[in-house]
Amino acid sequence: MNSESAQTPTGGIDHHLFVKRQRIYPREVHGLFAWLRTAAVLVLLGAFYGIPWIRWDNQQAILFDLPARKFHLFALTIWPQDFIYLAALLIIAALSLFFFTALAGRLWCGYACPQTVWTEVFIWIERRIEGGRNRQIKLDKMPWQARKIGLKSLKHAVWILFSLWTGLTFVGYFTPILELAPKLVSLSAGPWETFWVFFYGFATYGNAGWMREQVCIYMCPYARFQSAMFDRNTLIISYDEARGEPRGARSHNSDRSSGDIGDCVDCTLCVQACPTGIDIRDGLQYQCIGCAACIDACNGVMQKMGYPEGLVRYTTENALIGEKTRVLRPRVVLYAGLLAVLSAAVIWGIATRDPISLDVIRDRNALYRETAGGLIENVYTLKILNKGGGHNRFSVSIRGLDGASIFSDDRDITVTPGEVRNVVVRVRIDPIHLAHRSSELTFVVESHDRQLNASEPARFLGPAAP
Amino acid sequence: MGPEQTNRSETANSIPRIQRVISVLWPSFLMAGAATIVFFAIFDPFTLMAPTWFPDLSRLAAYGVGFFMFWALTASSCLLTCFFQRPIRHFNQTKRNP
Repeated sequence: MNSESAQTPTGGIDHHLFVKRQRIYPREVHGLFAWLRTAAVLVLLGAFYGIPWIRWDNQQAILFDLPARKFHLFALTIWPQDFIYLAALLIIAALSLFFFTALAGRLWCGYACPQTVWTEVFIWIERRIEGGRNRQIKLDKMPWQARKIGLKSLKHAVWILFSLWTGLTFVGYFTPILELAPKLVSLSAGPWETFWVFFYGFATYGNAGWMREQVCIYMCPYARFQSAMFDRNTLIISYDEARGEPRGARSHNSDRSSGDIGDCVDCTLCVQACPTGIDIRDGLQYQCIGCAACIDACNGVMQKMGYPEGLVRYTTENALIGEKTRVLRPRVVLYAGLLAVLSAAVIWGIATRDPISLDVIRDRNALYRETAGGLIENVYTLKILNKGGGHNRFSVSIRGLDGASIFSDDRDITVTPGEVRNVVVRVRIDPIHLAHRSSELTFVVESHDRQLNASEPARFLGPAAP
Repeated sequence: MGPEQTNRSETANSIPRIQRVISVLWPSFLMAGAATIVFFAIFDPFTLMAPTWFPDLSRLAAYGVGFFMFWALTASSCLLTCFFQRPIRHFNQTKRNP
């Protein structure tokens, strides 16, 4: 299969694994959009690395405590029973993506996607160590001498350290980071925690250091379908062909108004700045992540030439052909409406959710037991979950099975907010009251001030009716 | 090189190698992650593992093992899809074009 691919007429460089990929050395640019991207990197990564260290009520403010099966979000605790909210949040996230894509194109890819943001950091580190685009190209062509080995080792060492810190932060969302960090340093962290730190660290190093634009081009599902949200009014980054062509180099005193030559001086800075290695002048392309580096690069050149900025700019297909751009269109209104309704539903749901819940598990080892007095006994484990709200003393009773009585070592049950309490109860009944092998009964748990209650049906099993 | 062979090579190899590797490992990774979240949101590993050979497995370990089991499953099905995608003509190549 390999040898064949090498023979194919179309089998060019891009048909192979990493080695023959044309490495991209994006040129550093300065300008409004470079500034915006840096701001986005600082805010987003600042939040990512900072949030696990925030404390709330003597515990980590945001902690997805998987071993205890509960998520802490400041004062709110989310339980597996609240999974529906997580699903709704994911749908909201997807809808917001659709909404912003329809409105302003690949904003997410250019400014907010973790792949972009971490790649920016890795490229920044690379530039500080190896120098800018030209020096990087020269360095890679050099034979392996001491200087090259030193620079490359230093770069990878910094990348790996940064990746490990990223892995630690990631795992810090799932296990208390104040305990995890010293444990990792003293090599006494649990095997799974250590594994996930390295797994996430390795993924960061691989994706942001090595894979970069290939993740966007080959791996990203969103990149594949984002064009479905585009229309002629969507904000895109585009080269103004009417103004730029015919492109070409010119002398300083050439007459721009003569119409013989367009504004594009063909300096190829827009191509050199592109992190995915495309030429924006070829039109809207699937590989374009909308980072606007080409806009900054081109604007710099236009300033130097004394031409107006915006030969490459944010615009819409309609604007490019001189038509009016409509912001409010059925698609945008629909996405916005769905977003508003769903967000309201989630907020309402969380605000009014049941503060306690009850699960009943029958003892699986025995169907039923006969007591010395001839009564039939079933054993159940009640799981009482107090999601919070101040009420913490509860009592348990049964309904729906006449003649039955409930026994427990602790009928007066304390469940502090945020706790799950398992209570073993025995239900006994004279078989004379049992009409069937299996009867239904309902467990009721009620707070002492009678403000809260929850109930759960269960089966009571006994011998066949006499 | 006849037109037929060009056609065949294109069908078999029009996807770059890296894209094929990724098309096995990556979608399966995404789906395994989603499956792990949904599965363990519904089933608590403690009650799930109690009657098995590993009653002492911690929850964190169970999540990890569960994820890799899901990944192995989804990756194998991606691999089979990839495998069966190869056109039938591809297998007859050596006899027809020695």
